[in-house]
Amino acid sequence: MTAILPRPRGWPSILLARARAADPTDLDAALAAGAFEGLRRAIRQLGPAATIAEVEASGLRGRGGAGHRTAAKWRAAASTPARIRYVVANGYGADPGASTDRTLLETDPYAVVEGVAIAAFAVGAEEAFISVRTTATEALRRIQAAVDTASSRNFIGDDVLGSGVRIEIEVRPVQGAYMLGEETVLLKALDGKRGQPEQRPPHPATRGFRDAPTVIQNVQTLAAVPWILRKGAAAFAAIGTEDAPGTILVDVRGHQRSGVAEVQLGTPLRDIVALGGRPRPRRSLKAVLVGGPTGGILPAAALDTPYTFEALRGAGAHVGSGSVIVADDRACVVDLGRLLTRYSADEACGKTIPCRIGVRRIAEIGERLTTGTSRAGDLELLTDLAADVVGSGLCDHERLATLPMLSGLRYFRDEVDAHYLRGECPAGVCRPISLGVPAAARTTRGRGAARPVPSTTAARAQA
Amino acid sequence: MSVLPGLVPGLGLVKGMALTLRRFFAPKATVRYPEMPADVATKFRGRLQLLYDEHGLLKCETCFQCAQACPIECIDMGGLDTKGRFHVHWGPPETYGERREESALRRSGRTVPDPAYVHFVPFDLATVDEILEAHNHDPKHMLRILEATQAAFGHLPVAAMKRISERTGAWYATIYGTATYYGHLRFEPPGAAAQAAEVSARRPSDDTYLAALGASVVGRRR
Ligand SMILES: Cc1cc2nc3c(=O)[nH]c(=O)nc-3n(C[C@H](O)[C@H](O)[C@H](O)COP(=O)(O)O)c2cc1C
Ligand code: SF4
Ligand code: FES
Repeated sequence: MTAILPRPRGWPSILLARARAADPTDLDAALAAGAFEGLRRAIRQLGPAATIAEVEASGLRGRGGAGHRTAAKWRAAASTPARIRYVVANGYGADPGASTDRTLLETDPYAVVEGVAIAAFAVGAEEAFISVRTTATEALRRIQAAVDTASSRNFIGDDVLGSGVRIEIEVRPVQGAYMLGEETVLLKALDGKRGQPEQRPPHPATRGFRDAPTVIQNVQTLAAVPWILRKGAAAFAAIGTEDAPGTILVDVRGHQRSGVAEVQLGTPLRDIVALGGRPRPRRSLKAVLVGGPTGGILPAAALDTPYTFEALRGAGAHVGSGSVIVADDRACVVDLGRLLTRYSADEACGKTIPCRIGVRRIAEIGERLTTGTSRAGDLELLTDLAADVVGSGLCDHERLATLPMLSGLRYFRDEVDAHYLRGECPAGVCRPISLGVPAAARTTRGRGAARPVPSTTAARAQA
Repeated sequence: MSVLPGLVPGLGLVKGMALTLRRFFAPKATVRYPEMPADVATKFRGRLQLLYDEHGLLKCETCFQCAQACPIECIDMGGLDTKGRFHVHWGPPETYGERREESALRRSGRTVPDPAYVHFVPFDLATVDEILEAHNHDPKHMLRILEATQAAFGHLPVAAMKRISERTGAWYATIYGTATYYGHLRFEPPGAAAQAAEVSARRPSDDTYLAALGASVVGRRR
């Protein structure tokens, strides 16, 4: 199990509130802590429409990475005429380096079960799925135990809380590539089909699993819903920022410590990095990778960026998997960008051609930079290619996959130029390093001398 | 009566040189593509060949969009793809021969002699049929059907997948695509350990990615 990082006093706790419970699958202990009160209030007092209104008033946004408004999805699914509707909890946790969703499923499985049940009640779904990565065995065991216990005590099942409402929840272990975390891919995997994204619209909320309206939501999003119904939308909206209320789980890999922590949205990146401890002696922070394999590489100067969906996007990163990885001055930003882009290229599903080929070409530019074999014009090619790839894909992967190289170019221009123009790696990570000859003169295929990219091209690619 | 060729020594040579000379002074037919579009037959469909990149890997991603789109399921792919997966094609080489023979039969009613063709090994279809029966022949349960087939045979034999396609009505390309997508399904007998090792060396797994990330973050030399 992943460590949970100690937090400063006074930080609110919603998702990890029960992290210290002796046995998270003990229903009586969970009930004593308020579990299933939210579901009871939704069914006995509010009814579906008022439940959605309450979630809307709380301002809850999806924790799966993009930050879509939760209530809007629910309303779309509820208002689409259909005989059957579904709810799917996305607990896949695609990023192998982040265990936020897994930790939530391990420490508070009842919150996820209750959140799924409330969502199902609000949109009128009778069947729901909780999908978890097959390798997360402990999370799977606990969520399965929670579903079994809750249904044996009628918190879910044929007759929820004696109200006649039917909500069946099935835990589905799923296994596949990175792309399986994407919503339309997950829906296909649940149906046993090959995992490739679908054209949208129609969004899953209007036409998803087996063509029925489907609400697909990250497990953290769903686990916040019981708290909102129990404590009220206003209490939730008071936490975090006005535009992005509430808390979110981050997976910090810091200078000294690594683990999962719960932070308010809007917390400055500096405070999140601090959870992982200070730099080791004689070392300093060089870069922070925010957002997992497709994240942005941000410099120390960007540490004041608040951790919100919009601010991170503006800075060239994204919330993504919630991963925050600190690199000190030993790391080479170009090497890191190359590695991440290669991973993204290998994981691209291949359905959209600009993503399939373009990201691979970007990865190759990164490889040429790190091996000192850059061709003249490579950086122009990188920014041009990135600008062309973005917006061409069926899912968002193609845009995100360009972030590591583009943010490296944006913030660490000197280091990139050292690789490109002089074939040197200032951090001494990449080999071969300088041969004392400008890179462009060494390549036979170069078209003219290597020169810095005009900043306008770089700016266009960033926009 | 014309002079019989062969009777006059050197006549063939003269004729050959005359042809060469005519061609030499004829206007050049080179087309400056793409400034001038080439004049190609309307049924031309490009170069029907899968290309390799500089690492010797197929450029094809095996997305199978083409195979799934082909109405008569005539598209095959072979070799090692960019993700290092073997058996990108629809089965071992012998089934190629079989397919060629099949289609020749279908088109012309007679078989073509094909040196690459080895007869298909008899295969126990009853097991597959039982699995299909247990899953109601329902293509919606494809993943579970494939898993059960793998449990029975140790891997997914081509004949079994063909049978599944036949009986469930699902397209072979779709079934194959599903099977390539999931890491726990395999097309080779489990004994092919060397092959599996090569695949994992080429295909970055979560573990190799994490190890590389850890090394990169602390600036360890590659
Ligand atoms: C390449 C890619 C990978 C994704 N991986 C995940 C994932 O592992 N877990 C997740 O919850 N959402 C993931 N998402 C986001 C989902 O598509 C989807 O937006 C999310 O599950 C919706 O839930 P939310 O509204 O609660 O955020 C991924 C998206 C993309 C484009
Ligand atoms: S953008 Fe990339 S990952 Fe997404 S559907 Fe297209 S090819 Fe697949
Ligand atoms: S890229 Fe080759 S089948 Fe699609």
